[in-house]
Amino acid sequence: MKEVVVHPERCVGCMQCMVACATAHSKTKNLFSAILEIPLPKPRIHVGVGLYREGFPNRCRHCDPAPCMMACLPGAIYREPEWDTVLIDPDRCINCASCAMACPFGVIRYHEDSLGVPGKVIAVKCDNCVTRQSEGIVPACVEICMCNALTYEERDESLKRKTDEMARRISVGAEEREIIESPGFNLLNTLKRANVAISEGAL
Amino acid sequence: MVAVTDLYEKYTITKDGQMMLRKAEKEQMETVWERFQAQLPQCGYCEMGLSCRNCVMGPCRVDPFGEGPQKGVCGADADIIVARNLCRMIASGAASHSDHGRDLVEVLEEVAKGKAPGYEIRDAEKLKRVAEEYGVDTSKGDILKIAGELAHAMQEDYGTRKSSLQLISRVPQKRREIWEKINITPRGIDRETSEMMHRTHMGVDNDWVNLLLQGMRNALSDGWGGSLIATEVSDILFGTPQPKTSTINTGVLKEDQVNIIVHGHNPVVSEMIAQATEDKDILALTKKKGAHGINLVGLCCTGNELLMRRGIPMAGNHLMTEQVLMTGAVEMMLVDYQCIMPSIGPIGKCFHTQMISTSDKAKFPEMEHKEFHPENARELARELVKQAVNNFENRTPNRTYIPVEPVNIMSGFSVEAILSALGGTPDPLIDALKAGKVRGAVGIVGCNNPKIKHDHGHVTLARRLIENDILVLDTGCAAVATAKAGFKVPEAADMAGPGLKEVCNALGIPPVLHVGSCVDNVRITVLAAALANHLGVDISDLPLAGAAPEWYSEKAVSIACYVVASGIYTVLGPMPPIAGSMNVVKMATEGLNEVVGACLAVEPDPEKAAILIRRHIEKKREGLGLPSITV
Repeated sequence: MKEVVVHPERCVGCMQCMVACATAHSKTKNLFSAILEIPLPKPRIHVGVGLYREGFPNRCRHCDPAPCMMACLPGAIYREPEWDTVLIDPDRCINCASCAMACPFGVIRYHEDSLGVPGKVIAVKCDNCVTRQSEGIVPACVEICMCNALTYEERDESLKRKTDEMARRISVGAEEREIIESPGFNLLNTLKRANVAISEGAL
Repeated sequence: MVAVTDLYEKYTITKDGQMMLRKAEKEQMETVWERFQAQLPQCGYCEMGLSCRNCVMGPCRVDPFGEGPQKGVCGADADIIVARNLCRMIASGAASHSDHGRDLVEVLEEVAKGKAPGYEIRDAEKLKRVAEEYGVDTSKGDILKIAGELAHAMQEDYGTRKSSLQLISRVPQKRREIWEKINITPRGIDRETSEMMHRTHMGVDNDWVNLLLQGMRNALSDGWGGSLIATEVSDILFGTPQPKTSTINTGVLKEDQVNIIVHGHNPVVSEMIAQATEDKDILALTKKKGAHGINLVGLCCTGNELLMRRGIPMAGNHLMTEQVLMTGAVEMMLVDYQCIMPSIGPIGKCFHTQMISTSDKAKFPEMEHKEFHPENARELARELVKQAVNNFENRTPNRTYIPVEPVNIMSGFSVEAILSALGGTPDPLIDALKAGKVRGAVGIVGCNNPKIKHDHGHVTLARRLIENDILVLDTGCAAVATAKAGFKVPEAADMAGPGLKEVCNALGIPPVLHVGSCVDNVRITVLAAALANHLGVDISDLPLAGAAPEWYSEKAVSIACYVVASGIYTVLGPMPPIAGSMNVVKMATEGLNEVVGACLAVEPDPEKAAILIRRHIEKKREGLGLPSITV
């Protein structure tokens, strides 16, 4: 089945996935009205900052077995079989943060959300946009990502692509051909690394 | 966890900066570095120039990996989008310098009409010299009449009635021919900016090369128009700088005096403040309030203007503006415009500091607005200085923290002052260049940028250049950085290579010459043009280079472009937002060589930038048949 696959080497750090995610999880599903809602909708995907000021879209992996699910004593976290998605029942969540302690990826956040009881802080994380998927629409973060840092595809499909890429890179004479997907992005990152190295005193 | 001390050493090389960052932390006050961290990661589309907000069929962006959209809704590809965005940066930068220049021309006009009490013509000789360039009859000797006619002639430069700007007559003939050939001779100052904005509108100029050419013409309308007028008229009104000694860094603030800071770019307000601080009745009031005088200090380029002309001490550059306020020792800060972070109003509010905005074009959060005009400037300045003096008693001594002792600086090297130091003719400098005692000269200019360790780029590059017998002329934030590092005293000649040291010692000058504020970059290009004319060559033949190791602003983009279009190779620290189009990158860093005989380079590491520049200078020396070495 198709799922969201992350390709960190393609993330340009625009954070549009965060905005699209928050909008998709708002009551009104529209950016301009979403920013007026109470509580303010918040993203389930979070773009982190790498060592060289580059972006990384960090998203729930929907692990199986899921450490968060095992840590959840009230049984609020469960797996939705149709979309193979780990979900949180807002009514059962007791805001104990055990799931956060168990999560190896730091993808859970705690805040008031339109899903839960007004005024109550609950654990919130990526729901794989199951509502959208059931309507045949791709997850919001994938839809907005123009660089294909987030794709919606069969996992094996994406890995096959990566295998071919790997094979091309180790082809005899590949160094001379220098397979660079985007020379501009490569240049930008080289310069960003230099800036950080200078500040660190490494140069 | 990284110790906080280490963190601040990564942010800035300056001792006062590091100490003030510790105070900021203690007082829980946010600085530019925290806001920069909060912005990370920054948007890659925008960093590469691949996003376009010029119309509402968009906003659009182009996928740099080639799979997603490759064109905006209108059909513009990466080359067009990147070129349009860069050109709009140039337009904004050129507009800023040129509008600054226009404000000075307006003061000149008011002075001529006798409607600007307190202002006067301080350099009548220069007035006549410039007026003659504009074809104004100076034989009758009525200074105010000449001033009025010059102001009107300069206003014509801003308009659309001329086919070329007046002051390009200073540019070598060969260079003007290049501009004519590729059709980038600047016509009117406002016209070029206006046309640039027109061409970048959807559906107008969609040839990225043609766009970049107009970008250069727009930049030239700044470098040989707006900025140059700003500098020349400032000299006429406030005096042409001559060498002066002063002091620099946060330590220029005085615990026992009323500290007033002027910040921004335009000397129109700050010159009146400077006059008011010398008024006897105000000094008497100061004494009554228990202060040992009024200590006027500058920040950023307003500071550079006052330092150059009056030897008024300088507190710091762009990234120090927040921290200088955090000393808690400032009774009043007056700002005009450009590079004034909107964050500083609220910092003033954390202390007793009165924050005053002065220009109708530039209001700021949490500042009191007191609008200056030529007719009220003298009186308003007096009123505000009195207000600052009265505020002295509100200072909280136990929150006052002046971290360091100031460093000495020699400033005031206008072109006129440099020539006079050389004995009235450029020959001694040319002889030193020919003999190889001085290999060449480099202008280090531009801003600070939290992406680069504060002042590291400026100071490291200047050190490496003077060590290798390259004379450095600097302006703006760069000038503050090298002065704080101690490079701007005659004794700093000891840090220079043997040839440059000998020349500096003979003339009694530092190896790094302060030539002014950022509009004063034109002093460097004017000097370059004068040297080229003297030798009968083009500017691009000379062993010169420019560098902007820590630039951030749109004004810097305009400067870099007019410097390159004038024939001077320029090395940038931060990457301009053009990586999205390798065509534009190649044009800027190689192709321009064939068009204007100079190009840009990007090198974040100042050590490597120094090597690039030294190689370039030796190549130019070789071209002139002068002894050269391999770098």
